[in-house]
Amino acid sequence: MAYRLERERTNTTPYILIDEEKNYMRFEGESYLEDVIGFFKEIDEWLTGYLASDFTEFTFECAMEYFNSSTTKLLYNFLVMMDKNATAGKTVTVNWIALEDNEIMIECGEDFQEEMERLTFNIVIAD
Amino acid sequence: MILDMNEYVKVLQKFKIDIVYSGPMWEDGIKGLAEMVKVHLKGDDIPGSSARAVFSVFVEQVTNMLMYSAQKERFPGTNREPVDVSAGIFVLGYRGKTYFIQTRNAVKNESVDFIKGKIDHLNTLDKKELRQLHRESVRGENDNPESKGAGLGLIEIARRASKPISYAFEPAGEGKTFFTMCVEIGQEEK
Repeated sequence: MAYRLERERTNTTPYILIDEEKNYMRFEGESYLEDVIGFFKEIDEWLTGYLASDFTEFTFECAMEYFNSSTTKLLYNFLVMMDKNATAGKTVTVNWIALEDNEIMIECGEDFQEEMERLTFNIVIAD
Repeated sequence: MILDMNEYVKVLQKFKIDIVYSGPMWEDGIKGLAEMVKVHLKGDDIPGSSARAVFSVFVEQVTNMLMYSAQKERFPGTNREPVDVSAGIFVLGYRGKTYFIQTRNAVKNESVDFIKGKIDHLNTLDKKELRQLHRESVRGENDNPESKGAGLGLIEIARRASKPISYAFEPAGEGKTFFTMCVEIGQEEK
């Protein structure tokens, strides 16, 4: 059975969707004042295993509105892991979705984008 | 004797203080305060980017308070495990199109030099340099052994601040020092 995880958004934690069958993961919302490591533990475990598997195309959509500095570090680690695994025959696409006036998120996306070597990192500005 | 609330309100008004909190602080408990700050900022009718900058400073500042606090006590939790509760004061105000967030908490005497050195350094950097330092810190290892977080909090605060971060240290006895930090965030034109 393909793995699937869906978590409702709360004030301090984002909406999470992992649909392994569709090779798709989405984060949406905010992340702060939480035990980030604990919250993302299951996702981290799945992602580690998935990226090591024989997938061909994986898409990660990140539509975050705000996250704190511990989440920044965690997202960066996820992206690095995706980048390292985007080897021959494995395509990874990241769509970084931010509102036009959300400078903090756009700048963060730009900085992450520059750190990536193999995966495709698109910054999508939404109205 | 009953506290004269009029006098209290006068002090708040004089210093343009909108929200003040003094008392026990812990991660889950702060969430209520965060909601309050968020709703307050929405009510202020300022551009979303300014509200987000103020909120981001708030989150990192209270997180730092919890992280560095030398006044921690273990309280029985209301539903699950015991929680580590810190003591602190938090103030949010607005004067002349500028928000300010001021916090005070006790830190260990041996943390003073580290905090001071870090803020002094950040205060010398411009926005571009701060962004660069932030990038390097996200990539690199944490340079503070006491920090449980990513060590990025202060850099994030400095990036959003419109003036150098001001601070003060005062002796608190028993090997502790009161650390006061004030961050000002100017409002962007709408």
